[in-house]
Amino acid sequence: MRIAWVQLSEVRSYRTLELHPQARLNVLVGPNAQGKTNLLEALGFLVTGRSFRTSRIGEIPRWGVEAASITGELARRASGVESRRSVRRALLRGGDGIWQATGEGAPEWARAIAFGWQDVEIVNGAPGARRGFIDGIAARLYPTHAATLVRYRQVLARRNRILQAHRREPGLDARLEPWSEQLATSGMELIARRRRAVAALQTELARVWSALAAGHSKVEIRYRTALGEAAEPRALLEALARARHHEARLGQTLVGPHRDDLALEIDGADARTFGSRGQQRLVALALRLAEVLPVTEAAGTAPVLLLDDALSELDPRVRELVLRELGAAEQVFLTTPEPLGAAGAAVFDVNGGGIFAA
Amino acid sequence: MAYYPEPVARLIEALQRLPGVGPKTAQRMTFFLLKRPVEEVRELAESLVAVKERIVYCGTCFNVTDQDPCRLCADPARDARVLCVVEEPNDLLAMERTGEFRGRYHVLLGALSPLDGIGPDDLKVRELLLRLEQGETAEVILATNPNVEGEATALYLAKLLRPLGLRVTRIARGLPVGGDLEYADQVTLSKALEGRREIG
Repeated sequence: MRIAWVQLSEVRSYRTLELHPQARLNVLVGPNAQGKTNLLEALGFLVTGRSFRTSRIGEIPRWGVEAASITGELARRASGVESRRSVRRALLRGGDGIWQATGEGAPEWARAIAFGWQDVEIVNGAPGARRGFIDGIAARLYPTHAATLVRYRQVLARRNRILQAHRREPGLDARLEPWSEQLATSGMELIARRRRAVAALQTELARVWSALAAGHSKVEIRYRTALGEAAEPRALLEALARARHHEARLGQTLVGPHRDDLALEIDGADARTFGSRGQQRLVALALRLAEVLPVTEAAGTAPVLLLDDALSELDPRVRELVLRELGAAEQVFLTTPEPLGAAGAAVFDVNGGGIFAA
Repeated sequence: MAYYPEPVARLIEALQRLPGVGPKTAQRMTFFLLKRPVEEVRELAESLVAVKERIVYCGTCFNVTDQDPCRLCADPARDARVLCVVEEPNDLLAMERTGEFRGRYHVLLGALSPLDGIGPDDLKVRELLLRLEQGETAEVILATNPNVEGEATALYLAKLLRPLGLRVTRIARGLPVGGDLEYADQVTLSKALEGRREIG
């Protein structure tokens, strides 16, 4: 799929803005703090209805306004025919000061994959960043994943509350049981989909990595859980029973997908400790690009790529290889502080809250 | 901020405690009432007091009623062998509106909710067990809500009732009747798939 055009009104640093990008590569050039990331965020919001920077939609409208909107048209080609759908996302400030999103959403095939500086945390950050990464992919591949995740978190919060409030009472087991059972059911659903997402990623990651790193090393990704290979809710229930004593002491749930992690290895060594910062950034970028093919297969059309400053900290030869890999994508938006010599790219100058075709 | 005369402020304050009513709605309601004829307002005030004075919980099923036992519990035509367990009186009404269920009810007056500090002892669970001990019931239908609290309540009761040797069932989750498969959300559809049954 691609974004045919987009119009912003009162979004972040933009009063109004209209952009007609091309298919393939679009480069957004400009000095820092001129609104490049804001524009990427708006493109992502158009496609997905969510911001990749914040969960508080009230941050998106320009300061002091009462309403903002992002309107545009998405196009996809299926069996040789191009179909177009218009999308309108409006943000309105209610009388109670709470922002609400309304409008006409995107079609179910619309997908966007974003990459930003914070993605290096997938490689060198805490386990939570990796769980968030794999849950994001699983949600793009399997539409019920996000709902299961919400349900799992609800059950987890309630189970933890019981552990905190009643840990010294004799009836603790009976109180915990209905929550443990639900935790096991939705938890195993999450683990199964995360494992499938990792498997879908693995093959493409090997291909993308050898294209970007010119075949000198190997990157591997594995799902890490205390449950080993188990796939039945019973296994999680049994693990909870084994951890029960410890859980009562600490007042929290100690096994389940909320404690799992991904193992990322470069040539067999942990990428967190091994690998330069440039290399870690390249792994993070490769992970995002490896997602393109599985998501394309699941959604029936290629996702739009939104890459924020993806080439910084990379040497000129690797930049060249990244640009070559991006050449295959249906539509890419790439921000950069300095001009790139990318053949065939549409270049837009972003400056002082405006945008100009260069 | 401007100050309202004391009686106005008091009413706004009182209305705000109602579910789904914020400060603005409470204000609008108050000024609406100020403009209405006094008989109409008196009628509202009296019905508010009457509901509190005359309505009690049925000592058997814990539905709201103006007579104890309630009409449903007193009706000899209703089948005492099937007992439908719901969270709130509203849920009982929803079941009754179907006109399909001819058994009896038990209202728990809530669901297990650790975040609100509501455990089994805060629900009408003991009363349910006492009713079942009388031995008239052959099947218990657990019709709590399909959210995490309702599900936990159903799981808890299922475990508790297992030793009694009754048939214990849970209402199905799935597709709305008259809807198109194509328009069903994925979560509902996958639950419907999970709860499929043999046909023919």
